[in-house]
Order: sequence, then structure tokens, then C-alpha cells
Amino acid sequence: MWKSVFYKEWLKIRWFIIGYTLLGILGIGYLFLALKHSFAFTGGKNVWNTVLFQGYQFYGLFKFVPLAGGLTIAVAQYLPETINKRLKLTFHLPLAGNRALLLMQAFGAGSLLVSFLIFFGLVAGFSLIYFPIQMVTDGVITILPWLLAGFAAYFMVALVVLEPNRIFRLCYSLVGGFFLTIYFTSAGTAAYAPANSGLFILTALLSIAFVFSAYRFRKGEM
Amino acid sequence: MIECNNLTHHYGEKLVFENLNFQVKEGSILGLLGKNGTGKTTTFNILNGFLQPTGGQCLVFGEDTQHLSPQTKSRIGFLIEGHIQYSFMNIHQIEKFYSGFYPRWKPAAYWELISKLNVPPGQKISNMSCGQRSQVALGLILAQNSDLLILDDFSMGLDPGYRHLFIDYLREYAKAENKTIFTTSHIIQDMERLIDDVLIIDFNKVLVQSTVGEFRSNFRRFDFELENDETDLKNERFIVNIEKVKNKVELYTYSSESEVKRYLDDKHILVSNFTQVKMELEDAFIGLTGKY
Repeated sequence: MWKSVFYKEWLKIRWFIIGYTLLGILGIGYLFLALKHSFAFTGGKNVWNTVLFQGYQFYGLFKFVPLAGGLTIAVAQYLPETINKRLKLTFHLPLAGNRALLLMQAFGAGSLLVSFLIFFGLVAGFSLIYFPIQMVTDGVITILPWLLAGFAAYFMVALVVLEPNRIFRLCYSLVGGFFLTIYFTSAGTAAYAPANSGLFILTALLSIAFVFSAYRFRKGEM
Repeated sequence: MIECNNLTHHYGEKLVFENLNFQVKEGSILGLLGKNGTGKTTTFNILNGFLQPTGGQCLVFGEDTQHLSPQTKSRIGFLIEGHIQYSFMNIHQIEKFYSGFYPRWKPAAYWELISKLNVPPGQKISNMSCGQRSQVALGLILAQNSDLLILDDFSMGLDPGYRHLFIDYLREYAKAENKTIFTTSHIIQDMERLIDDVLIIDFNKVLVQSTVGEFRSNFRRFDFELENDETDLKNERFIVNIEKVKNKVELYTYSSESEVKRYLDDKHILVSNFTQVKMELEDAFIGLTGKY
């Protein structure tokens, strides 16, 4: 049965996730072309100097890419379920309601994870060509909350979109918007090092929030 | 197969129905009739566990509909009002999707119906007409091979050809396979072609639960003209409903012609052109519930 649930989710998000991943790869390609350009025209010393002592993040353009991915995939995945209350079809499947929902989410979050791992691998891999491991590690620590923000946005949108009551939806959107700013509070390189594990736990906890919206839908809240 | 006891529901402070009791027996085709707002879709939503009633309980295959097990859900085919399905899928994808859930899946039942549509294999459901979508939804329910079919307003948006195709196919299938159907539709002529039993609800109560034949033979309409058009008949207990325009009267009752005539004679009410009018199910429904 999980294969059928995954199949449905794939049909919904396939063009979005493929398009998003390709755009992300192109974006990363652009970042490293620009970096290569800087190395060629201003010299390695200058680039290292700006990265090490002036806090320049050559991957800064990547900051909101995971967030955009989380929003896009969640909307592509959950909005079709709410049109004409199609979520009823899911709940009528011979499958426990929460299990069906968690399988849907596992597929969406898993797809995002694959995209993010590709991005992460490309950024880390290309960075190692130009910088030593210590500097790349700092970059990875900096990027991590941005990636977590992508998952948090995905979970938040699921909570909002599946909520049957407009007032609740508005409240969740406002809370979600403020909540997401936690992931972008500081722009300093590796500034989130002490907070990343906490952010990870917070994001993981957020992953089950949408079950509450679905529960309210099932109880006929309007 | 379905048993609802003291079912009560409110939307906010608005009462939809109170202490509604009914059963659907195995192998029957029962039609739920009621005016707009009497709670037909609400009842269907409760039966499928999409709505928690304010009071009372519905059991399907002996299980509370608020906690249906996956095994029980696999025995129920559900058609959502408007033939809602996953419109982002095409006709192959949707068959592949559902077949993974139902062990008794019969693909031939689906493809036989789809073959009547003359649509290309990659046809997306979102690009289909309402009638074609209804056939897809019906095909999926038939392929599911469930024991109980719950169909919410199956004729919505369909032209007469598709309505007849839907009904004839469904009735044939249900009778051949001894399936149970609980359904509703706004087009009562369609219901009459399909159903054996009828459950008529009005605001807050069940008015009738019987076979269609019994209801049509026991519920009668008498038309006559009053000599004195100011005569008031409304408060007589044997009269279920009365429609009066000037001196022309339509009287609906469970009483026989002789009983009505005796009553008129006893009360010295002079009438002319007294006739019993044969009613179809729709006329009887309107006679019972009134023309708003």
C-alpha cells in the first residue's frame, strides 16, 4: 500500500521536484562559476581574505533556496488534496488515516531531502576544490539551518493547507512566518553551530503538527 | 449492514437532525431522500467517518463509523458528491493507484466501463467532462468489488444519457453480485430506476422507511374542487399534506379513497371532480414533504 501512496505523491510533485532540483543545480553551477571567475580575476588571496576576514559567503545566494523548495513541494503536494475536499479519498483508503498522512509526508520530505543532499553535496564538493576542509565545514554549518528551514516550511505549509478553518489557517500562517525567522536570525558564518542540534529537534517535532489539521478535517471542523 | 441509532448533529447552534434511526439491510438498494439542508450529505459524511456526530452512533459492518478499521473500509465503496477523484491522474494512473489497496480488485470492471468513453489512454481526468468523470468514479468503485456502496448524489452534473448508463450499470452490478447500496440523488426519477427501498427524511425526522412499492401504493393523492373555497382542511390528522390554489385541492394522505370521501361527507364538505391521481416517486416525495 505504501507503494501506491508514494506513487500518488510522485504524480503530484514530480515536475515540481525535478524542476526545483534542476534549477537548484543550475544556481549552484552559477555560484561556482562566479567563484571561479573571482579566483581568476582577483586572485585566490583576495577571495580567501574576503571569506576568512570579511565574512563573505560565496554561497549566500543559496540562503532561501531550501525555503522556496519546502514551500513549493508542500503546496504542490497538499493543495490538490484540499480542492473539493479530496482528502476524503485518502481517508477512505483501507489504511489507518494517520499512517496514510505520514506516508504522504515521508515521500514529500524524502524528496526534499534528496534534492537538498544533491545541493549539499555539490556545494561541499565544489567548495573543497577552492578551500580547505575547515572553511568548508564552517560553510556546511552555515547552510544547515537554511536546509532545516526548507523542511520547517514544508511541515508548516502542510499544517496550514490541511487546516479546514480559515481563522486557524491565518493564525498558523502568522505563527509559521515568525517561526521560520528563527532559522535566519544570524547571517554570520557558522554562527548557528551551537543551535543546529536544537533546530533539528524543533524541525523534527514540527513534522507531526499537520496531523492535528487532518484530525480537525476528519471531525468535520469548518 | 448499516445501523444508525439516535443520530443527532448540529452545525454550531443549527440542528440538522435529532435522534435519527435507520438501518440498511444486506443486499438492499436504499435511497435517502430529503430536501436541501435536511442532512443527506451530513449523514453520508458521518457514515464514512468524515464528521463526528453531536450525538448517537452509526455502525457499518458492526463497527463505529468514527473508528473504521482498514479492513472494513476496504469493504465500502464511496462516491463523493460531484464524482470527486484525483483529477491530476490519467485513467491508467488512477487504476494503478487504487489497485494497490484492494485485494479483491477487478480491473476488467473498470476497463469495461472506461472502454465506453472513447478516450485516449493518457487522458487526464481533469480534462474529462463531468459525465466521463462519473464513469471513471463508478468504474473504480465497481473494480474495488466492495460489499457496500455509498453514493452521495451520483447524478449531480450528469446529462440524461450518462445518468441512465450509470444507473443501469450499477443496478445490474448490484443485483448480480448481491451488493448493498445506500445512495442519494436530487433527481428522484433516477432514484426510482435504481432503488428498492426508500428512506425519506425531513428536518429533524424520518418520514418514511419502506420499499418504494409499498410507499407508492400506501401514500395517495386526491384532487378535487371545493364548492366553497374558504373551507379549511389543514388541521385534519389523516391529511399528511395539502396544496390548495383557490378552490383546487391536492390532498396527500395514507387513507383510502373511501375514507377520504366518508370524511368529506361527514363534514358536509361539497366537492366536485374528485379523482385519485397516480404518483411517481417524485410526486409522492413532494406530496409528503411539501413544495417548500
